[in-house]
Amino acid sequence: MTEPAAFIEYRAVAKAFGDQPVLRDMSLAIRRGEVMYIIGTSGVGKSVTIKLLIGLLRIDRGEIWFDGRRIDQLAERALVPLRKRIGMVFQSSTLFDSMTLAENVALPLRKHQRLAWPAALDEARRRLAQVYMAEHAERYPAELSDGMRKRAAIARTLALDPEVVLFDEPTTGLDPVSARRIDRLIRELASGLGVTAVVVSHDPPSIFGTADRVALLYQGAVHALAAPADLRASPDPIVQQFITGQSSGPMETPGF
Amino acid sequence: MTAPRDGFIAGIGASAVAVAQEVGGIVLLTAAVARALVPPRIDGRELWKSLYKMGNRSVPIVVLTALFAGGLMTLQAGPFVKKFGATALAGWGAGYAVLRELGPILIGLMFSGRVGANNTAELSTMTVTEQLDGLRALAIDPVQFLVVPRVIAMMTTLVALTAIGDLVALIGAAIVGRVMLGIEWSTMYHGFVDNLRPFDFLHGIYKAIAFGGAIAVSSCYFGVTVRGGAVGVGRAVNHAVVAAAISILLLDFFLTYLTG
Amino acid sequence: MAAEPHSIPHRVTGWVQQRIEAVGAALLAGSAAVRELWLVYIATWAGVARRASRRRVPQGRQGRPGQARGAIVHQLYWIGNRSIVFIAVTLGFLGMVMAYEACLQLSRVTGDFSQVGSQLLRLDVSDFAPTLTALMLATRVGAGIAAEIGSMKVTEQIDALRMSGVLPIDYLIVPRFIASLIMTLALTVLGGVVMYAAGGLTAKYSFGVNPHVFFDASMVRGRHVALLIVKAAAYGAAIPVVAGFCGLRARGSSEGVGWATTAAVIGGSFAVLVLDFLLSAAALVVFGGDL
Repeated sequence: MTEPAAFIEYRAVAKAFGDQPVLRDMSLAIRRGEVMYIIGTSGVGKSVTIKLLIGLLRIDRGEIWFDGRRIDQLAERALVPLRKRIGMVFQSSTLFDSMTLAENVALPLRKHQRLAWPAALDEARRRLAQVYMAEHAERYPAELSDGMRKRAAIARTLALDPEVVLFDEPTTGLDPVSARRIDRLIRELASGLGVTAVVVSHDPPSIFGTADRVALLYQGAVHALAAPADLRASPDPIVQQFITGQSSGPMETPGF
Repeated sequence: MTAPRDGFIAGIGASAVAVAQEVGGIVLLTAAVARALVPPRIDGRELWKSLYKMGNRSVPIVVLTALFAGGLMTLQAGPFVKKFGATALAGWGAGYAVLRELGPILIGLMFSGRVGANNTAELSTMTVTEQLDGLRALAIDPVQFLVVPRVIAMMTTLVALTAIGDLVALIGAAIVGRVMLGIEWSTMYHGFVDNLRPFDFLHGIYKAIAFGGAIAVSSCYFGVTVRGGAVGVGRAVNHAVVAAAISILLLDFFLTYLTG
Repeated sequence: MAAEPHSIPHRVTGWVQQRIEAVGAALLAGSAAVRELWLVYIATWAGVARRASRRRVPQGRQGRPGQARGAIVHQLYWIGNRSIVFIAVTLGFLGMVMAYEACLQLSRVTGDFSQVGSQLLRLDVSDFAPTLTALMLATRVGAGIAAEIGSMKVTEQIDALRMSGVLPIDYLIVPRFIASLIMTLALTVLGGVVMYAAGGLTAKYSFGVNPHVFFDASMVRGRHVALLIVKAAAYGAAIPVVAGFCGLRARGSSEGVGWATTAAVIGGSFAVLVLDFLLSAAALVVFGGDL
């Protein structure tokens, strides 16, 4: 049986900040509709990887392909259609402080679907209801807890119905109940709407409960790539050290 | 082992490069703003919000500044008045100084400090908390959405404030003239009206337009290029205010010289 | 009987009442702030006195915590040396503009340029040089001080200082205060020289005024120089105190630092203007037409 064509593909990607290399030779293929978790220690390049996909950062070497077209060399203006198909939920949820939740979610609707403001707000409230946040639609981000802000940010990213959603540490800093809610949302997106999810995480219940496949980043490249169960059973000592959360072992962690 | 002299010259060179980089960046941002205005696709809501915020915030300080500035000019004319009884001079001297130079410059500087610095602080906080990246990820151009409305709002507001401030400064000049130099209101009034031409007022307004643009673009530039956390924000505001002050004075010179 | 709650007279008076309350609240807040600022100013002088008396006691190895050796020198460099180009450039352009405007108006009215240089020098010395220099410094130095101290406040370094038994005012504000007093005066002189010289150049090249006629110090008296020193000292004292005060009051995170910097620039500039007004008015009262 042939391997399904990759929807998103990183080929030998390298990225350095100044003289500090972060990604060295990273190759990863992600299939349409799957939930791919990218894991690894802090500073190993997980956030960098997904930011490269939508052009918030630029690669030094290598190629990035999306839906059969090469995208790493597109100019800022040319990235606009791409960014409508690939959405990103940032770690700090990045809601605009000066707008209510409804206004936040309505913003992309107004800009890209040319909806008038009242229609956009209605649609925004509907979207917030989908993430169980409808009753807070008129409140400001600063008044809400982290978990609620995160859900609102997800609603905003989903407003344009993207085919791919990137999550940068969606459950980090959340209490366990909120974290599991987010996991369930991600799962529903993939199974229910066919959205491809690429999740950066180092939260084990999230990883093992939600992922279809897991990629372990280590020393700038993909060190292991497998389904969660296979990863857990892996004999590789580095994989084992990360999964079991040992502070000492063969893994070299920069900065410690 | 480098001699101290090398270090000094290298330091100057480094500063020159840094300044050139900033000037280049500001020019690029100006070009981006200009491009976004043709055809004009301005976010109406953001524009309105900015206008309201900036106007509201700066009227009190501008009015106070203008009062003192006008009074100061009369004080400077004081010795002439007391010595030679040149009461008409007070109105004329204070008037042209205020309309052509002092009004636009002082109001511009105060505006830069109040609104420009605030703008940089807001934009740099947004940049540091990734809100700006968030906009780009939503395929919304930060220049078109954030910068352009603010630039237009700041230029418009400064022109209005300068006009109001000019008037208030003349009133301040008249008050000080009356209180400290015993000059009658009518004398001051004639001093203004007989000797000042509409062109003098417009001269100040042209400057306000230019200052407004300079303050707006530089404050936005330093806001979106900030690095680091809270420390970076402070530094960005610092740079923005200094850059605005230099631009105001440079522009003032060129406009005075060129338009006479 | 009271008017209907939503009738027009009631709404108007309600609105007026709100405005009055707003103004009253602003005045109260403003006077509280001024009072606090004055306290910081007094505390700064107290810190200076403490420092002066402490100098007679031999310093320990690192100096006691809070008396960083060479802090004043560091501030002198930071405030002074790094502002030289800024002041020279800004006052240079200002000097050119002022000379240009003065000559332009004279050419419209009398056409007699014989007094321009001497009067301009008198005004430069007694008012423009100190005030304009200080306005520029309020921007550059004030913003810098507020940004530094503000960042320290929001990252809780000020609290850490307090817990090691150090008075923030002594450690942070006093060295900047002393340095600013010295440097404002020095930069005023520099600024004044550049301003006047640039003005002379402009007068020569735009209006053909003979430099021998322009550069004329005959109108300058000791009282003008005294005014310059007094003003420079007043401004040099006000700017760091206002800026330090704003920095110490910073709250929150980056927004707080931004606010502190803004407030320092506005407060410092406004303080300079007010002080200029008061000192100029006083001089006018004292010297009258002979100023």
